[in-house]
Amino acid sequence: MTTTGRKFAIGIMLLLAAGGAIGWFYDRPLTGLLLAALLTLIWQVRQLLTFERALRTDNFNDFRSGEGIWEQIYSRFRFERDRAVRRKASYRSLLKEIRKSTNAMPDGAVILDGNNEIIVSNRAARTLAGLKRRKDRGQRIENILRDPEIGRLLNDTDFGSSAEIPSPLIDGNWLNCRVVPYGADQKLLLMRDVTERTKLSKMRRDFVANASHELRSPLTVISGYLDALSEDDEMPAAWGKPVEQMRSQAARMKHILGEMLELSRLESSGSATTEEAIDVASLLERIRRDFQNPDAAPILLRNESRAGLLGVRAEIESAVVNLLSNAIRHTPQDGSITVSWRSGPEGAELIVEDTGEGVEADQIHRLTERFFRVDRGRSRTEGGVGLGLAIVKHVLARHDADLGVSSEPGSGSIFACRFPPQRVVVAPPVVLS
Amino acid sequence: MEASDLNDHISRRFNKDIEDLRSSVLAMGGLVESQLSQAIVAMVRGDSELGLQVARDDYKVNNLEVGIDEECGRILATRSPAAGDLRLIVAIIKTITDLERIGDEAEKIGFLASKLAAMDRPADSYRELKTLGTHVSHMLRDAMNAFARLDVEEALEVVREDEHVDEEYDAIQRQCITFMMEDPRTIKRVMNVTWAARSLERIGDHAKNICEYVIYMVKGKDVRHTGISDSSEIPDN
Repeated sequence: MTTTGRKFAIGIMLLLAAGGAIGWFYDRPLTGLLLAALLTLIWQVRQLLTFERALRTDNFNDFRSGEGIWEQIYSRFRFERDRAVRRKASYRSLLKEIRKSTNAMPDGAVILDGNNEIIVSNRAARTLAGLKRRKDRGQRIENILRDPEIGRLLNDTDFGSSAEIPSPLIDGNWLNCRVVPYGADQKLLLMRDVTERTKLSKMRRDFVANASHELRSPLTVISGYLDALSEDDEMPAAWGKPVEQMRSQAARMKHILGEMLELSRLESSGSATTEEAIDVASLLERIRRDFQNPDAAPILLRNESRAGLLGVRAEIESAVVNLLSNAIRHTPQDGSITVSWRSGPEGAELIVEDTGEGVEADQIHRLTERFFRVDRGRSRTEGGVGLGLAIVKHVLARHDADLGVSSEPGSGSIFACRFPPQRVVVAPPVVLS
Repeated sequence: MEASDLNDHISRRFNKDIEDLRSSVLAMGGLVESQLSQAIVAMVRGDSELGLQVARDDYKVNNLEVGIDEECGRILATRSPAAGDLRLIVAIIKTITDLERIGDEAEKIGFLASKLAAMDRPADSYRELKTLGTHVSHMLRDAMNAFARLDVEEALEVVREDEHVDEEYDAIQRQCITFMMEDPRTIKRVMNVTWAARSLERIGDHAKNICEYVIYMVKGKDVRHTGISDSSEIPDN
């Protein structure tokens, strides 16, 4: 018990004792005690009421202080109250700072709860996606950002992917959106304006396509004259070899331009149609017949499935041709190349396997880059253009497929094109006559 | 009715059902919006593959309509909703019909785009169709926003906007007639352009209908065919 508390108890007891003593003096001790108790009660109740009034009106100046324990309670209360007010003010300014900093972020951020309902959004989210600060609180984010891609992102539990959606506010602008897990059962949606980047990559694509196109016509003239020259009997013999070399280089340039055009076409178009079912097994057989050459490694064909592939025949053919010519180029004559086509419940696979020189592990991921060559020293005429695998990659992307590469230097490489089940149709059973 | 009114049912499950239903309507709206904008892009760029893609994808919109219709029936049967909830369900049943029709029109535009891509293209690459298309897709976007936010003001804005779309449509039609009179060889192509413009104008009408359902849902008043264009004219109930 504190000193004030002890003083308070002793005071009450002294009062009661005084009442009792006075009562005893008049031979009525109980009445005296009772009167003293009543007096104490009235006094305390008055104090209590005054305190209550001071609390209610929040005006402590009128409160009569100086009465023992009540003064203590009063000052303690006032102290705690002032501290709470000060703390609140400091939290408020801290919160303001945090809000200021999230608002200063150039990227939009929205905190979502487990049902994808908006908890907080920053200013950039409001200017980029047109969210409203108060009105949209508690609204599901996919109700406002209705692009189907957003729904896919929110349902994706891996949180790995991002999506580019057209801006819901400004036509022609693009937003890159990502969803990351945040706190307990919450998500954070991040948005970034990628209009500039999208424009730049479109410009690059257009430039490559236009440049290749423009280069083609002068090249046709050059190679036409070279053809004529090489057949000219009156040409001095000393010019024979140079002209022949110019011709072959011109042909090579034509080939490169053709592939660049093909690549930019593949890049700028979306998903391939699913209207035609390609009979992959017979396609592979035909390609093998074209490629079979006694001077190169033998090609073995393993058609384990008769399943059809939904896609564009010419593109799939060019992908297979590219893979196969790569394999032939990198496999010695005594090696072998295996092409297989198989399907299962999780999709279909087209695999080109060779026993050639293989690729170092750290170069595998660079294989599909344009003009990338594993062997820098390899002469440009002997090697390919360097666009083959880039074309394969884009063809596969257009068919929702991906390319898996595994390789062991010295013992060979495996290129596997994996197609998802929705691209595969089981062909009707072949009726044997 | 406010957005928060939808979430104060005693049954938590009912809250979630209603909220899921609203979200699926808006998801359908989102799909229709992207179909429409792709159809317009296909038209303006002359991308026949994209146009056919839009036409092929219309089945997704149809599937959503059937699914949402079923869910509405289930809620009506099992929850017997009243007042605002009932209005919501009724408005949703009507909204998805209009959305599905917008999807059909987008399919048509996609198909026309693939047809037009094969013909001679005018120097302005159908700029007037692009302008009308942008206008209409903004209307659809605002209509879906009004549905999401239960925003009567925005809904009325869209209703008013429909007049401008009609005017623009008239202008395109006049222009097309002039082209056809000047050079009868263009008739085949210009006819397709008028069909596309017609489809866009219809989409504007459907977006307007959706906004009228939003007003019905929020205010409980049917403003169709009344010429009301100001929220102060709608009595509160």
